[in-house]
Amino acid sequence: MTTNDGALALGSGGALTAPPMGVFARAGQTKGWRSWITSVDHKRVGIMYGAASLFFFVIGGLEAYLIRLQLAQPEGKLLSADLYNQVFTMHGTTMIFLVVMPIGAAFMNYLIPLQIGARDVAFPRMNALSFWVFLAGGIVLNSSWFLGGGADGGWFNYAPNNGVVFSPSHGIDFWNMGLLLTGISSLVGAVNLITTCLNLRAPGMTLMKMPVFTWMSLVTQFLLLFAIPVLTAAQVLLMFDRLFGARFFDVSAGGDPLLWEHLFWIFGHPEVYIMILPAFGLISEIIPTFARKPIFGYPFMVFSGIAIGFMGWGVWAHHMFASGIGPISVAAFSVATMFIAVPTGVKILNWLATMWGGKLRFTAPMMYSIGLITMFTIGGLSGVTHAIAPADTQQTDTYYIVAHFHYVLFGGALFGFVGGWYFWWPKVFGYKLSELHGKINFWVLFVGFNLTFGPMHILGLQGMPRRTYTYRDGYGFNFWNMVSTIGATLIGLSFLYFFWIIFHSYRAHKKAGVAVGPDPWDARSLEWSLQSPTPAHNFDYTPTIEVFDDFWHRKYGEDEDGRLVPVATGAEIAQPGNGEGVHLPSPSYWPIVLASGMPFLAYGLIFNLLLVIPGVLLIVGAMIGWILEPSTDPNADHGHDDEPSGPNDTSDVAVEPAANDEGDAVADEANAPEEVAAR
Amino acid sequence: MTGGARSRLLKLAPALGAVMLFAASCASDAPQDTLKPEGPAAQKIDNLIKPIFGIAGVVMVLVLGGALFIAWKFRARDDDDFNEMPKQIHGHFKAEIGWTIAPALLLAVIGAFTVNLIFDLAQKPEKDAVQVEVYGQQWWWEYRYDLNGDGDYTDIITANDLVIPAGREVALKIKSRDVIHSWWSPRLNGKKDAVPGRVHPLTIEADDPGEYIGQCTEFCGLSHAEMRIKVVAVTEDEFSAWTEHQQQPFEKPTDEAAINGWGSFAGQCTSCHELTGMIDPSSADDPSDATDEFVFPQQKNQVSNAAPNLAHFMTRSTFAGAMYDLRKDTPECTALGTTWASTDDGIEKCLNRTDLEAWLRDAPAMKHMAPGDVASLNSRGMPNFDLSEDQIDDLVAFLTTLK
Repeated sequence: MTTNDGALALGSGGALTAPPMGVFARAGQTKGWRSWITSVDHKRVGIMYGAASLFFFVIGGLEAYLIRLQLAQPEGKLLSADLYNQVFTMHGTTMIFLVVMPIGAAFMNYLIPLQIGARDVAFPRMNALSFWVFLAGGIVLNSSWFLGGGADGGWFNYAPNNGVVFSPSHGIDFWNMGLLLTGISSLVGAVNLITTCLNLRAPGMTLMKMPVFTWMSLVTQFLLLFAIPVLTAAQVLLMFDRLFGARFFDVSAGGDPLLWEHLFWIFGHPEVYIMILPAFGLISEIIPTFARKPIFGYPFMVFSGIAIGFMGWGVWAHHMFASGIGPISVAAFSVATMFIAVPTGVKILNWLATMWGGKLRFTAPMMYSIGLITMFTIGGLSGVTHAIAPADTQQTDTYYIVAHFHYVLFGGALFGFVGGWYFWWPKVFGYKLSELHGKINFWVLFVGFNLTFGPMHILGLQGMPRRTYTYRDGYGFNFWNMVSTIGATLIGLSFLYFFWIIFHSYRAHKKAGVAVGPDPWDARSLEWSLQSPTPAHNFDYTPTIEVFDDFWHRKYGEDEDGRLVPVATGAEIAQPGNGEGVHLPSPSYWPIVLASGMPFLAYGLIFNLLLVIPGVLLIVGAMIGWILEPSTDPNADHGHDDEPSGPNDTSDVAVEPAANDEGDAVADEANAPEEVAAR
Repeated sequence: MTGGARSRLLKLAPALGAVMLFAASCASDAPQDTLKPEGPAAQKIDNLIKPIFGIAGVVMVLVLGGALFIAWKFRARDDDDFNEMPKQIHGHFKAEIGWTIAPALLLAVIGAFTVNLIFDLAQKPEKDAVQVEVYGQQWWWEYRYDLNGDGDYTDIITANDLVIPAGREVALKIKSRDVIHSWWSPRLNGKKDAVPGRVHPLTIEADDPGEYIGQCTEFCGLSHAEMRIKVVAVTEDEFSAWTEHQQQPFEKPTDEAAINGWGSFAGQCTSCHELTGMIDPSSADDPSDATDEFVFPQQKNQVSNAAPNLAHFMTRSTFAGAMYDLRKDTPECTALGTTWASTDDGIEKCLNRTDLEAWLRDAPAMKHMAPGDVASLNSRGMPNFDLSEDQIDDLVAFLTTLK
């Protein structure tokens, strides 16, 4: 794949026209479920990432609510200690690995190629593989609920409590196998998206003209590329310990429990930035759009993101201030941790400076973005208070920490993601989510969020430890725990409301039948120069980039007095969505086949090594099929949007639902200017 | 969006923060409060963190207030001309350098104070400090004292209550017998992990006599929530009386029920529990004539390799990992301190007989444990021994003689 359409058309000599491996027909569906499971379209992969994350979000949310119900009153009896330990472990693991990370991946998959003017990601089939392996990992992890119980060692799973002696059920094995798989998925994705950012940018889009979201994604992918292998190494040691009797973390055999702690947090701290940087990127697109100003200090925004990426590697031991690593290490990590607040603070002030002097339109995405700025500020400041290592010895492993990281990951990352959903929904699905309900939803969530996690600051400072299934009357914990549970109820309702809003907005859209137009927000980056929903082939022709925010600059010019005036609407200059002659990579069965072999390995290692055999056969077979299959089906039409004319003559383009016909686009042009002006 | 809704968003957060700190520092019934230091180490931490909370609060009000102000001042108005663009500012190098350097300088100052305190708290304890080894294991704490400085930490072996003299430093050496735990009594000092294979020093000191509670703060499995800590600070005189009393040899029980209980204990309980200096009741035909010391089996069945040493059990105020009161928590009984069990009257009034009997009847029902098969190596915690009510009565009678 390159940005050049000519190079997309692989040589299609006669020798390659036979079906690969002789027996299998090549995937060619463009509609129905089979078109999704064989899709290599980065947009569909992105949508599937998003949908799967929302599914896991519901599971993780229910787990969270069980925790809150248990802790609503002292001596709660809803869950046993054993079940509670499983529930909080799975809640943390699910939210981190199966919700926040893949929602980030959903946005990155969908948006990066569009923002840099590319046809697809660099390795489309690898992209599909990345998603399917992620899904396999999520299923393996959660299948533990039906196969003897979930992991019970905390998401950090400290050794030696993670060993067979102390956790004899298979829960931690499922945790280990599930996360090994999501790790493979992350690595595949990282290589793919880094290559995409570096190699597939449209002509003229230098690195310093990339949108901030793409930049933050690039930093995130580099963090993943280096952080995931550390976790994988630790997990392989754990696997040998648990399944094959190795003793890497057993002191009596010369092992060391702190080895696990170090490895886990060398991964675990960059992981924090892996989760937050994509959201930082999202609101760096949203805020300039609704302030109608460029992002303030673009180079500072980019370099502070890179600085966070680098510094994120030098602070892991602040998770271990109480682990007895000695005063010199503690001092070094304490100071390093404080200074990571500097680039983060730069970002916050630059967002505020972007708003300064603007004409702020308080749309739903904008409100979530301001929510991120304010809530992340609170989380950042509480973070500084436990960078003070002596203070951290009072705060660590109390609810103060729980409050802190929910302010940065829920108030930060998730608020950014929800804002992103509202912002990009029309681009992805062709209709807007209700603005009115979106704003009401914001306030419900905002109040619920602060009621849930605000009181945890107090509980922590009053000495309530984390990961405890119960607490006693008379410790001053009762009132704020009840408040927190009430807040959690509000959060739950606000997400039910959100799902209803999706349904409601979709129905309203179907009823009105008005397409949303390519540029409903008067936005700035390249994806808004395409029809909504994005055509399967993305760009009709590769755009040439002259300046940062190129699309916006084509909408606004200076009049004779040097004043900035609109010269064209987004709809006028948007690409019409005509994919004539565009040649896309063909769908393929092999990514999902390869991924389906992975759970066999996982279950085989846990239950019976014989299961590994079908797993290996599936994986190796899929690899061979993959190699023999040209990425572009030589039998397929080179055209676009045609219905398949015969069983073997199928379109190579994964066609989106019919809403993106040219006819709609014309209608959009008429509607769009008023729509923007109306705000 | 209306201006009113916006300001609510932005006003709420700083107000919330202020309320939280206020509420946290004012709670009256929070015995584990981290903001109420009652020892020098905790006091030093408090002195550092309180001003930093203040600075953080100011920064929060400035940033959130600034966001509120900006949102209000620069809101698009309904009568705005859509074609009227705001001034396009791409950045301001000096301002950005400014707000990079300013917080860095502020943090450098905070960092200097922090580093200073880190090394201060890591200083070696004074020479006269009480030397105590602290062992964490699922799900209770053992305390072993070296009273004469010979490096042998078996002068006193006790559990649940850490008795210390007020006004004197106590040098803890924190260890673990199984998984990672963390020892924490917040009003005396920050926490320190107990990591298998390592010895972690922590110095504590209580300004005044009193009880300073805490709990294990590193997740350690099933009963992590009930692995509790109680530091009992007493006067120097009381402390020397206590140490002397703890080193008194085992006294054979005299009444019949207690003698029966002694026999049951030697037969059933000693595969896990030790009792320093216990005489073997079976070493003579009549147990009251017995003189030989009991030989405790070397090979313990527990993963943790031990259960609490029950010597002078009745001088403690708690049992079952400090989860249950052994001495009732009434003012009258609490006032008796560590000497509550020295009289029959005290035992009669203050012994929490109900919970103790229930514990002997079915320990796993009283605390989440994983006793498993006692003979297997996976046994953690006390199993249910299916004792008869008579046996339980006898055992309680025996335990009450361990004064």
